[in-house]
Amino acid sequence: MTLASVVQVLLSGLQIGSIYALLALSYYVIIIATGILNFAQGEWMMVSGILGVTFLSLGLPYSIAFCGGIVGATTLAIAAERLVIRPLQKRQASEAITLLALFGIMLVVRYGTGAIHGRLDEPLPGPAGTHVFRLGSNVFVFSQSFVIYGATAAIFLSVVLWMRLSWLGRSLRITAIDPLAAVLVGVNLNTVRMVAFGLGGLIAAIVAWLYAPLFAVGYLTGAIPGIKGFIALFIGGTSSPLGPLVGGLLLGVMEVAAARYLPSIYAEGIAFALLMFILFLRPSGLIGGRRSQ
Amino acid sequence: MRGINAATLPRFYPLALVGAGIVTMLPLTADAYHLTIAINLCITLILTLSLNFVVGNSGQFHLSHVAFFGTGAYVSAILAKQYHLSPWLCLFCAVPAVAMLAALIGLPITRLKGLYLAVATLAFSLFVEVLVNQGGALTGGGYGIQDVPAATMFGARLSAKSFYLLALAALIMTILIIKNLLDSKFGREIIASRDHPNAAAAAGINPAATKLLVLVIAASFAAVAGWLHTFYYLTLNPVVLSPEWTFVWFFMVLVGGLGSITGVVLGTMLLTLVPELLGFAAGQTVLVIGILMIAVTLFAPRGLAGLLHDLAKAVSSERKGR
Repeated sequence: MTLASVVQVLLSGLQIGSIYALLALSYYVIIIATGILNFAQGEWMMVSGILGVTFLSLGLPYSIAFCGGIVGATTLAIAAERLVIRPLQKRQASEAITLLALFGIMLVVRYGTGAIHGRLDEPLPGPAGTHVFRLGSNVFVFSQSFVIYGATAAIFLSVVLWMRLSWLGRSLRITAIDPLAAVLVGVNLNTVRMVAFGLGGLIAAIVAWLYAPLFAVGYLTGAIPGIKGFIALFIGGTSSPLGPLVGGLLLGVMEVAAARYLPSIYAEGIAFALLMFILFLRPSGLIGGRRSQ
Repeated sequence: MRGINAATLPRFYPLALVGAGIVTMLPLTADAYHLTIAINLCITLILTLSLNFVVGNSGQFHLSHVAFFGTGAYVSAILAKQYHLSPWLCLFCAVPAVAMLAALIGLPITRLKGLYLAVATLAFSLFVEVLVNQGGALTGGGYGIQDVPAATMFGARLSAKSFYLLALAALIMTILIIKNLLDSKFGREIIASRDHPNAAAAAGINPAATKLLVLVIAASFAAVAGWLHTFYYLTLNPVVLSPEWTFVWFFMVLVGGLGSITGVVLGTMLLTLVPELLGFAAGQTVLVIGILMIAVTLFAPRGLAGLLHDLAKAVSSERKGR
């Protein structure tokens, strides 16, 4: 366990942890405004990447493919809220029914993409190319990693500022604390719900352009990060945006460290072990607060 | 729960029983392909009925049913293949093993509620899938376990037809046990713990223990289904542990009607047989199931049992009107 290997583990852990943290943030904005755990977040990410690959293969410039992918996926996220989730909430459907509908959306998006686009994984080039930087003797960083660190910091900062300063962001926060009080001071719950799903979709759609260049993008790309994202959220807790950030980064670093220093069977189980540990000892998450359940 | 039962259709009940008897014997005249469908239906029914027992009757939102099914299947296969245990003996090892696993995991998990319970159990089922995939020589990893020794009876290997009778017997036992449990004092304790845990506790019931016991019983049925799966197909791979299965079974329960045994049987039969008959089973089953999930939750949230109940009510009120 040399210093170089520890630094490398930290850098790689923070890189995948940033992806988990951003997906956890996209679950977070939806869960605080609506109480819904939207399974499909990973799928919006996948759709954004697939759209990007498709636009690039049509010969469109990178910036247009980037914007097109993100706008397309966000539109789908808002459409799912309008067409499926709003009618269910209006009818006050039970938790079980809502969860099943969300799972149905996830299946339709995932396997629908598989049927339309095909089942092959394709590479998605990163915004900063594929340079490798050498720090010290044995530590390497991709240019994409810097994009990931920078984008994560920027997105978290803008979401926090938006929630504190803008009228819509404040509506979202008051709805999280007390929906009835929110209605009494003139907040339109339908707007808040749509904004929450749209923002969640937007964050997930941006994550595609951070995550997919590390590997490739195919119709199953959203599955694992989608699950790790909500595990990270429950580890961190839903009391403030710090929860998804800490949960995601901690999960990422622990996974990479376990993969580096322990047999692979432990590395795969670390997310579950961490989640169980947190749920039993601190059900409101590491950054717990008044929203404990 | 509301649903069709013997009281709603008193005159048709003996007739329905005879009809069901004839229908259940039909697969004995069928070819190997249709026999496989029938056995698969029996296994799926055991799973959906036991899932309904936990989710519908006891109101616990457990998403780990596939983990108990898969563990039952894998324990049976490993004992039979690597330790050369008799398949019948495997059943008596797999069921207690899975029941113990359910008790161990249920002890802390049944404390959780709602979304937290769903997330924890879903994570558990993912964990089991990963564990089996990484299990090395013991579980065969992604390749799985092939050539499990077949079950024998009186020295002869069980044919597909006798295996169908075995699966059918297991299914009928499952229905009878769950129905009797629900009709007993324990059944009323289950309902009380679901609807009013504080009142139940005041009446001397331990809601936590009741919920845990329900989970252990349901997991044992899932283990039986896993045992049947292993010794019918004689091969096993980690696909049987994919967490998506829990949602598919849960969907069958919901289409039938949460909490109703008759509804769950009808819903499972509908969703297992219709894809086979329409022929889209091979291509886009999962996509079609996803579309159906959204459609049912939006337009028929009370499921088949709810629809039939409304229909029976409409018919009887028309009769009274005359």
